[in-house]
Amino acid sequence: MSLNNLILLTGRTISQGVALEGGKASRENVRAAGICTFDTDDFKKLDCIVGTPVKVITDYGEVLVYSTITEEGPHPGIIFIPMGPWANQLVNPSSQGCGTPTYKGIKAKVEVVKNGKVLGAIELIGKLKEA
Amino acid sequence: MVEKVKTFEDVCCPFCGTLCDDLEIDVDLKTDQVVEVRNGCQIGTKKYFSSNPSDHRFTKPLIRKNGEHVEVSWDEAIDKAADILVKAQRPLLYGFSSTECDAQSRGVELAEILNAILDNTASVCHGPSLLAIQDVGASLATLGEIKNRADTIIFWGSNPVHAHPRHLSRYSDFIRGYFRTDGRNDRYIVVVDPRNTHTAQIADKYIRINPSEDYELIQAIRAVLRGADLDVKEVSGVSIEDIKELVEILKSSNFGVVFFGMGLTQSLAHHRNVDTAIRLVAELNDYTKFLLIPMRGHYNVAGANQVFTWNTGYAYSIDFSRGYPRYNPGEFSSVDLLMRDEVDAALIVASDPGSNFPAASVKNLFKHPLIAIEPHKTPTSAFADVVLPAAIAGIECEGTAYRMDKVPLRLRKVKEPPGETLSDKEILERLIEKVKEKLGE
Repeated sequence: MSLNNLILLTGRTISQGVALEGGKASRENVRAAGICTFDTDDFKKLDCIVGTPVKVITDYGEVLVYSTITEEGPHPGIIFIPMGPWANQLVNPSSQGCGTPTYKGIKAKVEVVKNGKVLGAIELIGKLKEA
Repeated sequence: MVEKVKTFEDVCCPFCGTLCDDLEIDVDLKTDQVVEVRNGCQIGTKKYFSSNPSDHRFTKPLIRKNGEHVEVSWDEAIDKAADILVKAQRPLLYGFSSTECDAQSRGVELAEILNAILDNTASVCHGPSLLAIQDVGASLATLGEIKNRADTIIFWGSNPVHAHPRHLSRYSDFIRGYFRTDGRNDRYIVVVDPRNTHTAQIADKYIRINPSEDYELIQAIRAVLRGADLDVKEVSGVSIEDIKELVEILKSSNFGVVFFGMGLTQSLAHHRNVDTAIRLVAELNDYTKFLLIPMRGHYNVAGANQVFTWNTGYAYSIDFSRGYPRYNPGEFSSVDLLMRDEVDAALIVASDPGSNFPAASVKNLFKHPLIAIEPHKTPTSAFADVVLPAAIAGIECEGTAYRMDKVPLRLRKVKEPPGETLSDKEILERLIEKVKEKLGE
């Protein structure tokens, strides 16, 4: 299953904050920030259960994260990934000349990848070192 | 009876820009470990506990040899780090927002000696707010004013329940103030956000705005405020009736404040969003008292801006390559420099660009030698060529930090730093000394 024409927002969540202070290499960090939250109705269209890995794709990259349903909805057409290594695979690095990249409001699409493996923060960023 | 636990009172929390100064920390005197944190939020509490020994805390300097981190002496690590910086043609010194002001000041000194680029995390955060304030000025206040006087609070593109967990209870919402004796009941809370955030769920009015259309909505509010009749049914997904109602609420308040966050600075219009928000606030002062305050993220990012400004004249994105400071966000800002692959070595202080920069720029950061002054294993320090283990400012060493409203507060030391760790300030001082020696100064 897949969804197109979504808008990706990123930002702080309290569990992401707690996890990054508790250890960025931990699985707790993956559970807190390696996730994509969907609007309830959007999620139904994906036809999968909560926690199923999804691949989020933008013009700037793609990443596998766990899917989940938002507590801060309804927000049809919007997906949210907490700030961190996973979200930053997808954001627009262009700052339009002001210095700050465009971390919010990026066109995205999502595909369900049932057997996908969501990488830990160090492993995920390590791929950028190897590349 | 022998005292087993020492309690530190009125401790300043080194996590977010709210810089709560009422924490109580219990430290076990035998093990020198934090055993209890009172009054802190979930994140601040975790930060204190994460200072205790763990497998992700660095206690000795490390150098990467054959792809593996190897423990070395401080002398060897400092020598290697200085060597990298001296040999680099365009070194970048980045971070500084999660450390105290003295260390930031040493960072400026090092950047000047190296003719380096100096940047702090405002670059990817509230940099656009600083640009906007330089463009059009700003009506600011301290948080004490807000606590005692404000009756209309707007959170625009910010979600304090998650990002500044105690902001609402200390300054902006539930707290009782001198003129707001009934706390929450004396205040009207408005949240503007594309998502019905947890902050929006406890607000009096939630305005759901389309993503990246903040500029249009603020301009529409300004137009309605000036009495213009808009010939459309909605702007940015918000009906004209809602805009008119909001304008009446704003005009009829006694003392209003806009707290704005990344929703304005990190979406497409960046500083233009903040420009127009500041102008709206200025125009509202024709009717009533209105102010705005940026919701700063790191506990001392405001301090980094202050320290850099009083040393160089500029708050962030500073280039010393010509021997004197030049300022141009977009050109000398870290992500833009990295995207152009201009940087050939980097010193990261108390920050994690590996996690927080867009992937394409991190790839370029990793191509070149990397030094991290950092207490923990992070996606940046894990791939650094030299790791200089730091004591955590505000927990293991003293210092000064600036709250989001630019009020300086004193950070306290509650326990000894573990292993061979040194404070950021000491590490930078040793690095400056070594760099000077290598440059023959």
